[in-house]
Amino acid sequence: MMETDFLIQQLINGISIGLVYALMAIGFTLIFGVLNVVNFAHGEIYMLGAFVGLLLITTFAPPLFVVIIFVLAFGAVMGLALDRVAFRPFRRFRDEASMKSKAIREATLLSSLALSIVIREGVEKIFGSNMQVVPQDYLLISPVQIGSFSFASGQFLIFGLSMAMLVGLQLLLFKTHIGRSIRAVASNPAGAMYVGIHTENVIMATFAVGSMLGASAGIVVGLYQGAVFPAMGFAPGIKAFVAMVMGGLHSIPGAVICALILGIAETFTTSYLAQGWGDLVAYAFLLLTLIFFPTGIFGAARERV
Amino acid sequence: MLRRTVNEFLAIGLCAFASLASAQNEIAVGYQLPLTGDNSQYGTLFKNSADMALEQFNASGKLPGTKVVIKYEDSKSDAKEGVNIARKFSDDAHILGVIGDFNSTVSMAAGQIYAEQHVPQLSQSASHPDFLKISDWQFRNITTMAVESPFIAKWMAQNNLKHYAVIGIQNDWGQSSVKNFSEEAATLGNEVVDTEFFNPGNRDFRSILTKVARSKPDAIVLFMFYEEAASFLQQRAQMNVQTVVYGGSPLYEPKLLQLAGPAANGLMMPSTFVAQSADASVKAYVEGYRQRYGSEPSMFAAQAYDATNIMLDAIVAAGPEPTRAKVRDALAATHDYPGVTGVTTFDPITREVTKQLNRMIVSDGAYKVIQ
Repeated sequence: MMETDFLIQQLINGISIGLVYALMAIGFTLIFGVLNVVNFAHGEIYMLGAFVGLLLITTFAPPLFVVIIFVLAFGAVMGLALDRVAFRPFRRFRDEASMKSKAIREATLLSSLALSIVIREGVEKIFGSNMQVVPQDYLLISPVQIGSFSFASGQFLIFGLSMAMLVGLQLLLFKTHIGRSIRAVASNPAGAMYVGIHTENVIMATFAVGSMLGASAGIVVGLYQGAVFPAMGFAPGIKAFVAMVMGGLHSIPGAVICALILGIAETFTTSYLAQGWGDLVAYAFLLLTLIFFPTGIFGAARERV
Repeated sequence: MLRRTVNEFLAIGLCAFASLASAQNEIAVGYQLPLTGDNSQYGTLFKNSADMALEQFNASGKLPGTKVVIKYEDSKSDAKEGVNIARKFSDDAHILGVIGDFNSTVSMAAGQIYAEQHVPQLSQSASHPDFLKISDWQFRNITTMAVESPFIAKWMAQNNLKHYAVIGIQNDWGQSSVKNFSEEAATLGNEVVDTEFFNPGNRDFRSILTKVARSKPDAIVLFMFYEEAASFLQQRAQMNVQTVVYGGSPLYEPKLLQLAGPAANGLMMPSTFVAQSADASVKAYVEGYRQRYGSEPSMFAAQAYDATNIMLDAIVAAGPEPTRAKVRDALAATHDYPGVTGVTTFDPITREVTKQLNRMIVSDGAYKVIQ
C-alpha cells in the first residue's frame, strides 16, 4: 500500500511537471506547424509574460484572473512584435523558390534565436538575473490534500489551463473560418495564397495566438514554482521542443502527450536513479522515438496542426 | 538632449585622458566575476563590495602617491571565458594580483593559467578542496566545505539527529560538500539514508521531496544556493514534509527570506558573516553598504569585501616596489586579519583559511544567531 501511494504521488508530480512543458509546447507547436520554423523566442515570450504579470501584481495587486487576461493581451502584442522583427523581414520574397528555400528558413531560426538572446539579456540588465520576489498571496502553492496525496493549487490551474488551451485551439482550428485559413497556410502556403487567403494576416494571427498561450503559461508557471527570472524560459523551452519533435512536429495533441511522458519519465528517474539523470532519460526517449518513429509518435497523420 | 550627450562624451574623454596621464604609478588588481548570465547576482554583490573597499583604501593613504584601480572582467560563470580573462590579466603588467572567480569550476580553470603565469589569485568564494592544490599562487578567503560540511554534521549529531537525507546540486561544489558531510556523519556513527543530486536550474523538487519523505530521515541537509533552496522550502511546506532542514552557508542570504516567506522558518545554517553582529567593523560595513546600495549585504558580499581588503593590504605589505611574487608572499603571510567575516588566517603550509563559524537559524522571518 505504502509503495502504491508513493508511486501515485510520483505520478502526480510527474504529470504536473509534464503539464508545465505541455503549456509551453502548445504555442510552440502551433507556430511551428504553421510556419515550419522553430521559434526560439517562445521561451522569452513565456518569461516576459511572467515578468509583466508580476509587475502588474506588485503595482496594482489585481485579482489573478485580471492578471491572466492582461498577460494574454500582452502576449498577443508581443507575438505581433516578434513576427514583425524576427520573421516578417524574411517573407519579403514571395516567389515560390524563396518560399521553399531552406536558407531563408534557417535564417529565421537564427533571427528568432538572436531576438531571444537580446530579450533575455535585456531583462537581465534591467531586473538582474536573480529570482524576483513573488508576493506570497499570489503563489499558487497552497497545499491541497486529497486522501494521502499532496497537490498544489497551481497544479489544478495548470491542468485546467492546458486543457482549455488544447480544446480551445482544436475548436479554433477546426470550427472557425480563421482556423481553416491557418490550416490551409500550414499545409500549403503557396496554395493558400493562390486561392486568395491573406497569408500575411493568418501568420500574424498565429503568432498572436501562439504567444498569448506562451505568455499566459509563463505567469501561471512562475506563480506555481515561485520562480520568475530571466532564464526561466530556457529549460522548459528545450523540453517543449523535445516534446514537439517526439510528437511528430505538427501535432499539438501529440506534443502534449509527449510532454506528459517526459514529465513522468523525469519523476520516475528521480525515484529510481536521481534527478540529475532526468535530462539523460528525456533525451534518450527522444533518440528512441526518432529511431523507431522517424516522423514522431503522432506524426503519421497528414493533417498539420 | 544632444548637448548633454556631447557633454557626457567630453567628460568620458577627459576621464580617459586623466587615467592615461596617471598610468605610470598605477597599480591594478584584476577582478574576474560573473556580471552577466545566470550567476550575475553574485558578481554584482562582489563588485559592490570591492568598489566600496577600494574607495576606502584609496582614501586611507596607505599607499601614498599611488592609486590602485580594480579592473573588472565578466566571466559569465563560464570556464572558457574565465581562462580568456586569466590570459588577459596575466599579460597586463599593471595587475599585481587577481580576485575571483565566483564558482569553483571557473576559478579552477582560470587558476591553471595563473599558476603557469605566476599571478597571485585570491577567490572570495571558491570552496572546492582542489582549488588550492593547483599551485602556490592560489588563495581563498572562504572556509571550504571540508570545514563547513563536518561542522554541520557535528552540529546535527549534537542535536540528536541520526538519519539524514542529503540534497545537493550536481556540480563540483555540491558533490564535494555532500561527500565531506557524509564522511563526517559516518565517522560520528550516524547514517545518510538518502542522497539526492539535482541538475542546476531545476525548480521542481516535489519528486525529490516525495522520495526523501519515504526514507523517513530525522533531518534534511541542503547543499544548494538560495534560489533553489527557496523553491525547495516552499514546496516542502506545500507537501507538508515536517522534517527539520539544515543547509550550507550560501543559505545565509536575506533574499532567501523574501523569496521563501514563512516557509523558510526553522532553517538552520552556519555562517562566518553575521550582519547583525555587534562588532564595530561589521557594523560600519553593513551601514556603509546599506547607504550605498540600499540593501543589507549577504555573506557573499562580505566575502568579497574581505577578499578585496586582504589583496589591497598584501599590495601594501609587498611595497615599496611591489611585484606579483612579493604580493603572493604577502598574501601567504595573512595572519589574524580582522575582517567582517571573522578573524582570518591563511595556513602557512596548506594556504587553507580558518575562520570562526556561527550557528544560525531562521525564526519569524529573520536570521538569528543561536547562542
